Amino acid sequence: MWEARTVSGQALILNGITHRYGGSLAVDNVTLDIKGGEMVALLGPSGCGKTTLLRIIAGFIRQSEGAVMVGGNAIDALPPHQRNIGIVFQNYALFPHMSVAENIAYGLAARGETRAAQQNRVREMLDLVKLTPMADRYPRQLSGGQQQRIALARALAMRPSILLLDEPFAALDKNLRLDMQIEIKSIQRLAGTTTIIVTHDQEEALSMADRVAVLSQGKLEQFAPATEVYDAPSSFFVNTFVGASNVLDGVVRGVDGGQAQVRLGDGSDLSAPLPPGIQQNARVKICIRPEHLMFSEGAGDLDGTVALGMPLGSSVVHEVRLGDGTAVKVAGPRDAGAAPLAMGTRVSLRPTHATSVRLYPA
Amino acid sequence: MNGRPLDFGAFSFRLVMGLLGLAAVTLLIMPTLVVVIVSFTNSFSLRFPPPGYSLRWYAALGDAWQLQFAAWNSFTVALWTTVLAIILGVAASLGIARSPKWTAKVLDSVFMSPLVLPALAYGLAALMLFSLVGWSISPVTLIIGHTVVCVPYVIRTTVAALAQLDTVLLESSASLGASRFYTFRRITLPLIRPGILAGAFIAFMSSFDNVPVSLFLRDARTDMLPIRMWQDLEGKLDVTIAAVSGAMIALTIVALVVMERLTGLSRRIR
Repeated sequence: MWEARTVSGQALILNGITHRYGGSLAVDNVTLDIKGGEMVALLGPSGCGKTTLLRIIAGFIRQSEGAVMVGGNAIDALPPHQRNIGIVFQNYALFPHMSVAENIAYGLAARGETRAAQQNRVREMLDLVKLTPMADRYPRQLSGGQQQRIALARALAMRPSILLLDEPFAALDKNLRLDMQIEIKSIQRLAGTTTIIVTHDQEEALSMADRVAVLSQGKLEQFAPATEVYDAPSSFFVNTFVGASNVLDGVVRGVDGGQAQVRLGDGSDLSAPLPPGIQQNARVKICIRPEHLMFSEGAGDLDGTVALGMPLGSSVVHEVRLGDGTAVKVAGPRDAGAAPLAMGTRVSLRPTHATSVRLYPA
Repeated sequence: MNGRPLDFGAFSFRLVMGLLGLAAVTLLIMPTLVVVIVSFTNSFSLRFPPPGYSLRWYAALGDAWQLQFAAWNSFTVALWTTVLAIILGVAASLGIARSPKWTAKVLDSVFMSPLVLPALAYGLAALMLFSLVGWSISPVTLIIGHTVVCVPYVIRTTVAALAQLDTVLLESSASLGASRFYTFRRITLPLIRPGILAGAFIAFMSSFDNVPVSLFLRDARTDMLPIRMWQDLEGKLDVTIAAVSGAMIALTIVALVVMERLTGLSRRIR
């Protein structure tokens, strides 16, 4: 049986990592301080530099500037095979000519461990990923989810100081994805390995990771716990990339203490916390998440008509067209038996909390 | 087929292609069939069809010491050539496949040039070179000459196999702590082995029945089978040559089937 190991994983520090391909900046001065045993997601759209960062940590590319430290030691001078960093590749990269057991034993065999030690470890790892009966199969005889678990077992078998997961769920179908996410998270907890998961899928990042590093165009936008990234995005990019958000244009009409009064395009006014650096008469982008808007019983802040109502099982989403034609989405829980509002219904909207309206410089 | 009017264009295309294919196959197979049938003749002439059938000419092979000697020479030269071609060809392929530089492309073309260069011209050139540097003609020069013209086959199939090899597997191996040599031994080599074997097989066959290079680079003692066969046929219209041909065809077919099983040969030599 796999014993829960009390040894926690090693800390990983990225210190001012910059990387250029030719003349273009792929990674721009990224600094991350990742604690031992933590699971961190590198989240961003394609081309944001997350894959470059992963390859730098693994040692496949040498960064132009900055340092990678594992457990306090710089590993920049080490070739990939001396870094002891495990990787689960997007397509799993299982060795097609080796059985499952041989795949898992590969790292130990490469290090010259005894056959008995290899076999013990293979048994342990198969037990951990619950695929003991598959030991003698070949990768092509396994399903996608099974291949992924073998790839994970193979990476963990060599007790890596850091585990990197590259878009680990992209190749799995939706139903299997959630199962595998839960499974991998619990295996990671058991193994206590510091884990970096590279993904463009924000749900995956939010559900799996303790902390999320959001990247855009090579720059670190925000590095915070998943809930904070969602609830208190530090930039317009993070607010719109992580989770859904309505984006409205407005002008700051009044500033009162920490509050700003914003005039929207349709002439209505909204109140929002005033972020630093925004002044009277500034043009701003206003972000409100669909679930932070609600229908108001009396007069609300925004008036409009229902353009579309979509029941989504447990919730319901309405698209409301404001006076100036701007469409906003409103999401809320759906009561049993309740139908969406009819098209053309006149409604009034207001934010659920004053703090849920967020302003960014336009 | 599904009730549509007959498409005359498609029909005539298939008719013409079918006839051309049939003609090509006939031209390829008929001579082989003729020589195999003639090799079972009971007469002293190469006449087709034979007046009667026997195995006497195959039995005669047992006493044909000159042919046996030549066959053994051809076999050992082909074997050495193949070993050298594998070593050099695989090394060259690894360099060519991994390098993004333009020099790799140029070298690739240079290594492949024996395929298009007239082998007779190469044989003469090699002979002149060897005499220029003072090497006398020997089995060694013969093997060197054969290797030059046979290496391209190994390079072609090995480069193709390397192109199929997913580089992520190599990164995966490195991330698991394997050195480059360990990765080569346990990942690269096993995965490209069918490609190497396919190329080696063609190299062997091409060395075994090579005439133009052997003409220039063999010494008087090194009698090669294809040349011996030609001389026998020219001098005395000997029916044992038909038996030799029959035996070679049979061995080739067996080898082809084995290689197809081992390497999927036909997929690798397109």
